[in-house]
Amino acid sequence: MNVESVETPTPESPARGRRPARRPGRRVGDRVFQALTTTVGVIVLVVLTVITVFLFVKAWPALHSAGLGFFTETKWFPDTNPPTFGVAALLWGTLLSSVVALLIAVPVAIGSALYTTEYAPALVGRWVGYLIDLLAAVPSVVYGFWGVTFLVPRMVPLQQWLAHHLGFIPLFGDPDDLFGKSMFAASVVLALMVLPIVAAISREVFRQVPGDMREAALALGATRWEMIRTAVLPASRSGIVGAMVLGLGRALGETIAVALVLAATFDINVKILKPGGNTIAANVATKFGDAGDLGRSALVASGLVLFAITLAATLVARSVIRRTGRAVTGLA
Amino acid sequence: MTGPSLLQGPPPVAVPPTTLSRGRGRLRRPQALAAAGFGVGVTAAAFALTPMQGRADFVVVAWLFATVAYLGIAARIEGRRSVVDRLAGVLMVTAAGVCLLALGSVLIYTVVRGARALSVDFFTHSMKGVGPRDTTGGAYHAIIGTLEEVLLATLLSVPAGLLVAIYLTEYGTGALAKAISAMVDVMVGIPSVIAGLFIYAFWVLALHQGFSGFAAALALSILMLPIVVRSAEEMIKLVPASLREASYALGITRWRTLLRIVLPTASAGITTGVMLAVARVTGETAPLLLTSFGFDSTRTNPFSGPEESLPLYVFRQASSAFDTAIDRAWAAALTLIVVVVLLTVAARLLTARNQLKS
Amino acid sequence: MRLRRRVLSGLVALCALALLGTACEAANPSATDTRATGTAGTAPANAAAGAKDTASLSGAGSTFVQSMLQEWIKQYARVAPGVSINYQGVGSGAGIQQLTSKTVDFAGSDVALKAGEKAATGGPGAVVAVPWVAGGIAVEYNLAKVKSLKLSPDTVAGIFSGRIAKWNDAAIKADNPGAPLPKVGIQVVHRSDGSGTTQVFTSYLKAAAAPGRWNFPTDKDWHAPAGTGAKGSDGVTQAVKQSPGAIGYADVSFPKLSSLGMVEIRNQAGQFVAPTAAGVTAALAEATPKDDGSLTMNYTPTAPTAYPISTTTYLLFARAGDPTKTQALRHFAQWALTDGQNLTESLDYAPLPPPIVTAALASVSV
Repeated sequence: MNVESVETPTPESPARGRRPARRPGRRVGDRVFQALTTTVGVIVLVVLTVITVFLFVKAWPALHSAGLGFFTETKWFPDTNPPTFGVAALLWGTLLSSVVALLIAVPVAIGSALYTTEYAPALVGRWVGYLIDLLAAVPSVVYGFWGVTFLVPRMVPLQQWLAHHLGFIPLFGDPDDLFGKSMFAASVVLALMVLPIVAAISREVFRQVPGDMREAALALGATRWEMIRTAVLPASRSGIVGAMVLGLGRALGETIAVALVLAATFDINVKILKPGGNTIAANVATKFGDAGDLGRSALVASGLVLFAITLAATLVARSVIRRTGRAVTGLA
Repeated sequence: MTGPSLLQGPPPVAVPPTTLSRGRGRLRRPQALAAAGFGVGVTAAAFALTPMQGRADFVVVAWLFATVAYLGIAARIEGRRSVVDRLAGVLMVTAAGVCLLALGSVLIYTVVRGARALSVDFFTHSMKGVGPRDTTGGAYHAIIGTLEEVLLATLLSVPAGLLVAIYLTEYGTGALAKAISAMVDVMVGIPSVIAGLFIYAFWVLALHQGFSGFAAALALSILMLPIVVRSAEEMIKLVPASLREASYALGITRWRTLLRIVLPTASAGITTGVMLAVARVTGETAPLLLTSFGFDSTRTNPFSGPEESLPLYVFRQASSAFDTAIDRAWAAALTLIVVVVLLTVAARLLTARNQLKS
Repeated sequence: MRLRRRVLSGLVALCALALLGTACEAANPSATDTRATGTAGTAPANAAAGAKDTASLSGAGSTFVQSMLQEWIKQYARVAPGVSINYQGVGSGAGIQQLTSKTVDFAGSDVALKAGEKAATGGPGAVVAVPWVAGGIAVEYNLAKVKSLKLSPDTVAGIFSGRIAKWNDAAIKADNPGAPLPKVGIQVVHRSDGSGTTQVFTSYLKAAAAPGRWNFPTDKDWHAPAGTGAKGSDGVTQAVKQSPGAIGYADVSFPKLSSLGMVEIRNQAGQFVAPTAAGVTAALAEATPKDDGSLTMNYTPTAPTAYPISTTTYLLFARAGDPTKTQALRHFAQWALTDGQNLTESLDYAPLPPPIVTAALASVSV
């Protein structure tokens, strides 16, 4: 959803550099206005610093109590005596569900973006693009609700098929188990939420590939696919990576849809068709109410871990996209 | 959501229809259709004669056979390179089809289930005094709550976001501007549940303010602020320098130029950004769960006591074990989708109109 | 700017309209239904006690008591129109926690406060605990072809600890000769939030199963390795309903209202008993009252009709809270303990035995 803030930057506006020369008779109004905006900027900065400091202070008791075990323990009993808790299973579930969601969403998103920019007639492409963007307008609670009532029961045959025929792959193992609210189902729901983000950015990136590169390829007798393979995709590679990382950020932080679709367990398991698993975000939503002092501290600590991962993803995406912006303009 | 710059890229190049000069001939549309039809026919025969069954299975198998037949005939007529090209085409169309199928499935299912459960009563009644077996009860209180919370969050974040954007584009220099800009970047990545957790730990518990609609608005404004800042920043930067210079040349001061020339010019774009931000937070659930908790009656004062809102209502009714509650959840889900999609489409239309004008 | 102003003024107008609307919010037609008329007449003295209160009470906690409380709230609105009560079923653990944090006015819990929790709320006696209704915790299951299922405590412990993993296990067959038990795996669903229902259920397993069959802590959190978690009795019931082969536990109103099968449990006398009000009442007769107003349940009652997984559930509120609210709460509790008891059986709960009601009324009034 945060696409607008990391989109390929528009060329630096000339407005910024040209300011009126500072005249001695500058009006009071100007100074007041500058002071006002600066103050608000500083307030925002202070508020965010307070948030960060507060979260670290709140997380400290849990981190102190659990020590390094916070990253290796899978159980979550912070309020029992003695407390036993750690973020290992949650972190695993968060990463696994997000990565599987990306594996499902990215090929579809890129294919649809190629369809809308390179393949479909302009008008059809534009409308298909609008419709795919609408996927991003569906609230996550509706995805979760739809997932648990519509998708999960219909996924059971597919999951059984996968387990039966591809059971030799550890991910799909254990065909004897009953299927339902599994990591796989959660990943499919997450994939739907990631899809519009990756599709929209890829579309944008493909569109920025200069037309003469396409025409050059076609003039050399390339088929349309050869043109895409040799001209469009290489020029957009880092943009696509950026889109993927941004989609990853969305999947990592998703809460309600996962809380609705996934049956909660606290273990580390590669078998994504088995019911169960949990994510950091979903665990916060389930446990905040009954968490005592240490429990809340542990939740905040787990939240910081999630925030750190999401932040890393966002920063990577930003730097990669910035580089693409340069690469594309450099080619033009 | 793609932002306002969606339509600003260079227009797609007019690619001529597939240029396949190397093949022995050219596959014509009737031939392609016949091949695909053959594939579907084979599938139908297979499903009639063998134990294969199931609607989804049929679609998948028919797609496979039709593709193979289509590529086969392309290979015979046009040669190997063309097969790769056409396979890529088939995969792209399929990918777009899967997207539309997913969208259609979510929307149609919600509309069908929601429309069945919707009634006028749903919009005029709260859940106050609804017994466990009652089929009555509605989302009136949740709609009011959502209005209150989103309005408060907008009032908190839009003016602040605009001022920060103005600071960053007009006055910001040096370390302070860099720090603020970096912080806004960091805020973009805050998962919504973390914003809720912060307000829960800080406002609700540490400051003893308790659950309230205002606490929810605080959490939502943490999510809205960076979107507003970034979109406003982009839009202000897009205002042509010539406009400002003309204004400066007339001796108009900078802040007046900003208020009278720059902001009005950028207003459509800024409004779009605000609407997208509003659309985004209207559908947020997790932060509301932690800050406004949920309530069964209407709250007219969002500053005291737990409050209901539409996403929370959907979540809590959807978690119920009873069919009547599930029906209510679908009705509310439909209401929520309509609100968010309308906001999104309106924002997009605004962008499109803006684009046409310039 | 012009556009933005237009959008903003539109929003403001919308909000004003909405606020105007609150004034004329329609009453739910169900509130005028006639179920309570008879009961309201039986004890006018109690009805009068709360009639003049005006308060908005917000509570949270046990999902066990949720159905009962919703019905009580609905009926009490006719007795005391000035009192507005809201209750969120978020689990006993969350109820106690929110009461401790003073974010709610009262909590519902299926278990009395532990020593540590009492300390957090301001010492023993700071929180009033009033038992207000009893009920059975049903073991609910989803097997289309098995209409009735009988289980012994050892088998229940085996299933919920994960030792018994298939429905056609010999232990289950032994209790159900001739039942069409399928060869599918058992999917255990337990609570993922802190729950008094979980604590009662695990306490029962510890007490009733043979030594060594249930080796997990009796806690509000689920500690056994088997199964997957779901939030609230609602969530457990929904998950069981959605997955063939699943089994879970929740108070009787949930499987009843969602048409799920309920296991007949073998009690100490060797009888298989369904969770009926009569079975719960028989089990309650063997509970021991404690000084703080709570009851110590006996999970191995000897009466042949007793349903062993029975419990009372408590209303918790701060003794020294906002006086108006506390007063309104006391009146509501008095009503629930007298007239309210008549509504219990219609929702598959059990009324409290008279001596416990007397003790509870005394503790409410202090």
